[in-house]
Amino acid sequence: MAIPLPPSQAGVSSSASGPSRSGTSILLIDDEPVARRSLAGRLTKMGYRVLEAVDGVDGLAAIRREHPDLIIVDWMMPQMDGPTLCERLRSDPELATSQVIMMTSHDQPEQIAEGLARGADDFLSKAASKQEIVARVQAGLRTHALVRQLERTRDDLDCSNRALVGKQRVLDEDLASSARFVHSLLPEPGAPAPGASMAWRYLPSLTLGGDLFGVAKWGEEHLGLYMLDASGHGVSAALRAAAMVTFLHPDNLARVVGGHDPVAIVTEANRRFPMTADGDYFTLWVGALHLPTWRLRSVSAGHGGAFLSVPGRPTTWLSQSNLPLGFDPEAGYVALEQDMPPGARIYLLSDGVYETMSPDRELWGRERLQQVVEARAGESIEQVIDACFEASRAWQRADHFTDDAAMVGLERNREASIVKREQ
Amino acid sequence: MKITQREYKQAIVLDLIGDLTYDNRGTFKEAVERVKASACRHLIINMEKVQFLDSSGLGLMALMSQNLKLNHIRLSVVNPQSYVREIMNLANIAKLVPIYNSEDDAVSDRGRAAA
Repeated sequence: MAIPLPPSQAGVSSSASGPSRSGTSILLIDDEPVARRSLAGRLTKMGYRVLEAVDGVDGLAAIRREHPDLIIVDWMMPQMDGPTLCERLRSDPELATSQVIMMTSHDQPEQIAEGLARGADDFLSKAASKQEIVARVQAGLRTHALVRQLERTRDDLDCSNRALVGKQRVLDEDLASSARFVHSLLPEPGAPAPGASMAWRYLPSLTLGGDLFGVAKWGEEHLGLYMLDASGHGVSAALRAAAMVTFLHPDNLARVVGGHDPVAIVTEANRRFPMTADGDYFTLWVGALHLPTWRLRSVSAGHGGAFLSVPGRPTTWLSQSNLPLGFDPEAGYVALEQDMPPGARIYLLSDGVYETMSPDRELWGRERLQQVVEARAGESIEQVIDACFEASRAWQRADHFTDDAAMVGLERNREASIVKREQ
Repeated sequence: MKITQREYKQAIVLDLIGDLTYDNRGTFKEAVERVKASACRHLIINMEKVQFLDSSGLGLMALMSQNLKLNHIRLSVVNPQSYVREIMNLANIAKLVPIYNSEDDAVSDRGRAAA
């Protein structure tokens, strides 16, 4: 029968006389003082800092207080036995990874199985030799060291993850703010000039897109239209696209180009926006609609997304085989000219609308888009654009576009509709 | 995208398989840089098995043509598929990089597409 020590005596430390292991602590929990002190003496000679406790309750308090590297606990004890102590440890998240060696007088397989099932990591016979004690203690401490290393790695990862989540939140807020800015650059749908109606849809691929467009009065007599594509994706492309929008602002064009002729605009843009060292550049379609005559002059610099839809006539794509901006500073550009009779529509679109792939890698393409537009010619601009987006999404069987998808429609109103609106 | 390199007459041919896009630009750039580091004087890009070329891929090709020109290396493109050819025509890329229908035509500079 063991004599329980008062709590103040639990956790007695011994000086190390063997190899330098004084930083490594082992808690011995045994109600038999002779056996406990005998083993404590051996471990102390091996250089460990040894703590002692007299039963499970006392031991649990020492574990919470001292966090020993290894626990050696007797099976049979008053108040709380070894297996119960193990169960308490395993159910406590702070102590669950403690390394526990259970001491037994017997080494019956059933008893070992029960001890393992209830939370022991290893067993040690009370009759074990010094060599076996050394081996099992060292094995337990190795496991403890590995578990602590894993816990430190986990803690480091948790810490890094929290920092990353915080930084990501800041980045997301910046991206959202930038996206709102980019969105503010887009024109208001409605009537950009007397006798004209305009609508658009824009779905950037990664919150921020490199495709932007504009429809604005250029001086008293012209309506300017453009669709630009900054190659690449994300923030870099959006920043470059915003820079191009600034260049294409009517006041800036008047100052640096001296007018609103598409050839002069594209030529100057080609000079001012050379290809970057990473191979980034712009494609651009620019049109100037002369409102008194409804004559459109346009230039395409590698951009394929504009076409004219006139009732009763075949669709006319307003694209040319021209170098994109920045490929060659000496590149020359020539304008196309078209008339816009009443009811005619110009559609501008980013390649993200029609360069969509079906699951078996077939491209939707401009021809299919044109078919949708022609089939819906009697519907409103909004309905036509929505139909194009819907058909393109259905083709790729996806809810989202992989690239920026933008489409703008501008209609010269029929005379009747003008009269109707004026009424 | 998968890129394999082989020799054909006096040229090195890069056979491209897959899409030449923003996501694959690093692979393409590395393959061209390897050729640039060799003693090759003519690089042929075989685009027969390229299904799609986006604006980044196109820009990279223009950039590579400029870089190779500075290193006195000819760059040719052969056999682009119809849609890839359409994209290249729209950007008038033939003005910078000659496009041929075969490697023999590229080596002998015959039958290039009009710039």
